[in-house]
Amino acid sequence: MPESMIKVTDLYKSYGNIQALQGLSFQVCRGEFFGLLGPNGAGKTTTIAILCGLLEPSSGKILIDGEDFGSRSKALKAKLGLVPQDFAFYPTLSGRDNLLFFGRIYGLWGRRLEERVHAVLDIVQLIDHAEEMVKTFSNGMKRRLNIAIGLLHDPEILILDEPTVGVDAQSRNAILESLQALNRTGVTLLYTTHYMEEAQRLCQRVGIIDHGQIIALDTPLALMQGLGEGLICLELNRPADEMLLRELGQRGTIKIVDDEGRRLHLTVESKQRTLRELLEHLEKRDIQIKTLDVLGSNLETVFLHLTGRHLRDTLV
Amino acid sequence: MTGAGKGVIYQIVAIALKELKVLWHDREALATLFAMPMFFILVMSFALEGVFEAGKKGRPIELLILNQDEGSISRQVIDDLKRVEGLILIEAHHGTPLTLDKVEQLIREQGHPMALIFQRDFSERILQANKNWSAQEATVSLMVDPVMNQQLVASIRGTIQGILERSALMAHIPQRMKQELAKFSGIPFLSGIEKPLEEKFSAERLRERGTGGVVFRTIYPRDFEKDRRPTSTEQNVPGYTIFGVFFIVLTLASSFHQEKADGTLLRIRAAPLTKASFLIGKLLPYYFMNLIQIASMFAVGVVVFGMKLDHFSGLLLVSLALAASANGLGLLVASLAKTEAQINSLSMLFAITLAALGGMMVPTFVMPEWMKTLSLFTPHAWALAGYHDVIIRGLGAREVLTEAGVLLSFACGFFTLALWRFRFN
Repeated sequence: MPESMIKVTDLYKSYGNIQALQGLSFQVCRGEFFGLLGPNGAGKTTTIAILCGLLEPSSGKILIDGEDFGSRSKALKAKLGLVPQDFAFYPTLSGRDNLLFFGRIYGLWGRRLEERVHAVLDIVQLIDHAEEMVKTFSNGMKRRLNIAIGLLHDPEILILDEPTVGVDAQSRNAILESLQALNRTGVTLLYTTHYMEEAQRLCQRVGIIDHGQIIALDTPLALMQGLGEGLICLELNRPADEMLLRELGQRGTIKIVDDEGRRLHLTVESKQRTLRELLEHLEKRDIQIKTLDVLGSNLETVFLHLTGRHLRDTLV
Repeated sequence: MTGAGKGVIYQIVAIALKELKVLWHDREALATLFAMPMFFILVMSFALEGVFEAGKKGRPIELLILNQDEGSISRQVIDDLKRVEGLILIEAHHGTPLTLDKVEQLIREQGHPMALIFQRDFSERILQANKNWSAQEATVSLMVDPVMNQQLVASIRGTIQGILERSALMAHIPQRMKQELAKFSGIPFLSGIEKPLEEKFSAERLRERGTGGVVFRTIYPRDFEKDRRPTSTEQNVPGYTIFGVFFIVLTLASSFHQEKADGTLLRIRAAPLTKASFLIGKLLPYYFMNLIQIASMFAVGVVVFGMKLDHFSGLLLVSLALAASANGLGLLVASLAKTEAQINSLSMLFAITLAALGGMMVPTFVMPEWMKTLSLFTPHAWALAGYHDVIIRGLGAREVLTEAGVLLSFACGFFTLALWRFRFN
């Protein structure tokens, strides 16, 4: 059994009447690149805030490297590096000055500090811009500096909350490569995103979070394999009856998505063959299709199948 | 109107409505926006009423009377002064006649602005002066607190001087006339009378002996080192220094807000750092900035206006405590305000209202009693009292321990409230 670096058990957090986390449990192993995938408002940022000691949970337990994080001890905090979703630095200071400041509050001084500043500037490819005032940086450069600050004190665990939001494709690629390289050095990464392609590319395991709960947790491949070759999403002009459900059930795994039974998800082994047979059967029974989507097997489809909703606000 | 024109108007209206909604959601800032000028009007009107009305019927000035003379002339002067509107004469304290020590104590410790002191043989000396020009001078002293507004002192001094003059002359003239006329008895009445009378009662002769033969001096309580009038610099520098020091409230509170807005507070909270370390580190620069600010202001007073600072230790003590209370208020505003607008309004409200109430713009002694009492609840008033003690009254560190202590108590109170209210998340 690999050593657990983060172990979250039965975590609850409420804001007034809103339940942000409802018994969230997962663990991240040492050296693992773990993704927490979910739509906006699923509870990812709340989870991260609790993990970093920024929020108190309503209940639940967190172990960091086997130690209870309830104490929020300095030693445990020093093991964590945070890359928040929003920029978090002083825009009127230079990149280097920002790094020097944050390095000092993590206890770095002198030559060690200089070395780490140089190292992280190198990782995020900002050495040439280190002396420039941060407010003059492009969005991508700011994102990279945001990551550099999180890496500065050489944390054992790096927690990244949607670090590529609003970044152009080129910068995003550079950031993802840096993170992969970092993971290869043994750093444990907990990565939240709602970009399924990022999670697929980076993460060894993915926890899908919705309404403050983990609804699926496995390797991206295993999660996608559960869908077979893909997913057929149907919306009919009338609720599916017993006969239709039986017929469809013979062709794959069927799931009724809405209360009326008009919207159905069908996971299939062969999209092409199943689709042809399905259309023939519906025509014979004079059932009309209002909408039809045939989706490939990816994490977005997994999320759609699990929740009936798209991961992102816009349809992929 | 064209469609495009209507479109522009709709856009303007939409923006205006949005702005009103945004303002409406920040009701605290909106309230302060109205409260600030209202407070300012109230405080300044009440305070300035004191300046314009001081020494008038509605806002009388208290004048302590120490009459060591047993003659009738001093009594006459006192009776005449009692008829002057806007002066309240106090001849006893808790039923006991005043003594010189008591008078000094009342001025020094209880805020009485001035005292009129008649020397022991005041009346006798005036009468002697009629017979013999080389006789000893009759002296009346006006003992004033050096921090008193000099214009006000001058106007009261002028009133007293006029009454003294008249009383002294009234005492001289009948006796002199009688003496001079006696010399000319039996001689044709008018011959030779003009010249000697003119000689004896000429304005110049009288002026030689002061006011109708009376020397009218302004003195200060004995414990106050300086027996001179405070300069305008000595009055203005401390006042405006304190006024400026409290502008740190805005800078400091804004920096906390900016820390939240930039997201850096979040990173700091995630770091292995205690809240106390963060707050101390954050406040220290502002505290030193305040001290540099104070030093610069006084340096201008010394270098440009030749202000004398003899008691550096007292000055330092008050300054250290003053900067602490200003920083405390800054943290309190940071903890109370939720938006940039609220920080701006609250800071200005505190900076201006407390300054006005604390006597930075209008001296507290001309304020109504209830405002004088209220001013004691401002750090400004205590800081000003401390600086006046050191600069104008020439007192040292030991004598300003109370003021420094009260300022530090303000600082503690502000910090305690601020830490109770401060939300790091």
